[in-house]
Amino acid sequence: MSSPSRDSSATQTNWDLIRDAASGSASARGSLDAVTKRAWPAVYAYIRASGRQREEAAELTQGFMADVFLSRQLVGKADQSRGRFRTLLINSVRNYLADMHRRQTAGFRKPTGVLSALDQLRERGDEPVDTSEASPERAFNARYVAVLIRATSERLHAELASAGDLASWEIFQARILRAAFEGNAPSYDEIGPRVGLDKGTCAARLLVAKRRFATILMEELRATIENPADLQAEITELRALLSNG
Amino acid sequence: MHELEPDPNHQPSPDAHRTLGDTLRWAFELDSSPAIAGATWLTREIVPNARDPFDAILDAATTLKQLEELKTAYKMLRTTGTTMPERNLAARLYAATIAAALVRHNTLITRQSDAALTRAFDELYADETIPERIRTLATLAADAPARRPSANGGNSPRA
Repeated sequence: MSSPSRDSSATQTNWDLIRDAASGSASARGSLDAVTKRAWPAVYAYIRASGRQREEAAELTQGFMADVFLSRQLVGKADQSRGRFRTLLINSVRNYLADMHRRQTAGFRKPTGVLSALDQLRERGDEPVDTSEASPERAFNARYVAVLIRATSERLHAELASAGDLASWEIFQARILRAAFEGNAPSYDEIGPRVGLDKGTCAARLLVAKRRFATILMEELRATIENPADLQAEITELRALLSNG
Repeated sequence: MHELEPDPNHQPSPDAHRTLGDTLRWAFELDSSPAIAGATWLTREIVPNARDPFDAILDAATTLKQLEELKTAYKMLRTTGTTMPERNLAARLYAATIAAALVRHNTLITRQSDAALTRAFDELYADETIPERIRTLATLAADAPARRPSANGGNSPRA
């Protein structure tokens, strides 16, 4: 991570950000950037896995962000449904693609100026996705969770850094994140000497970090739902989606 | 960006859906279990095939080095545990690892005073929430020769 600073938008729900982004307020641009950053990878993954080539998928993702986020369509739907951000987002992308398919000869509008931040995000999201392996829904959900985990990890890193406990961060990163994202994790015998801790202390520090990660993850998930009663359903559904595709 | 930061744009491995699902599972379930869940997780980090902490401590295959590592882990859990039952259990497990090292390896793996050790073993024995075989270990350890290394030739205390 570039810095352990706390993203101020993390304290707002995704709904707050969407509404503010479309409000024209002084903070609208920041809200737009924040919510776009969260949504872009999953939207791109869905579109790419639906069979579009990289360039077209990037164009469509950018178009979706401009047409749906800025046109207040999503805000209107959010106010109507007050449900889960993930569900609304994936349904909106699906509908957008169907609509674009109908208008495919009309070309795509590429926004300029107000969405300049998207160009940077596009660079980050413009990478190949194995479309033969994943359904659009599965690609979307996997990427959605990856963004969630990234945001959670950034906050954990910030907390541990401010507490002067980067050793715990290094252990967590090596044993958990590397295992989850790269499929391998260094042993405590490798990590211990690096952080100057014995194996037992490493494991105990990791348990504390994991628990804090879980707490932050729940906070991040709560920010994606309007009704707290939906939290457990969202957790259950996400896990099922990731397990079964 | 840090070297191992989870990049959401990173191309996932073929098993990414499963590993991400696993990540969510432990994150949501770690604290939904009884007090022993955290100690069990810690134990398996050190003795991978152990069924639970008691199994690891009682298993003759658990090495002295592993007992020392378990002792250190439980020692920290005594203060970092999220609930009082978990911290209490960690204290008992801490004493039990010392007892196991005394009984099975004739080695004192703590620098605690003799009085403190006696008290810890007494409390372990008196705790009826702990399995009988672990409590028995406490009584055997109380009389272990290695507690008096100068007189009985036991191994020196470890840090």
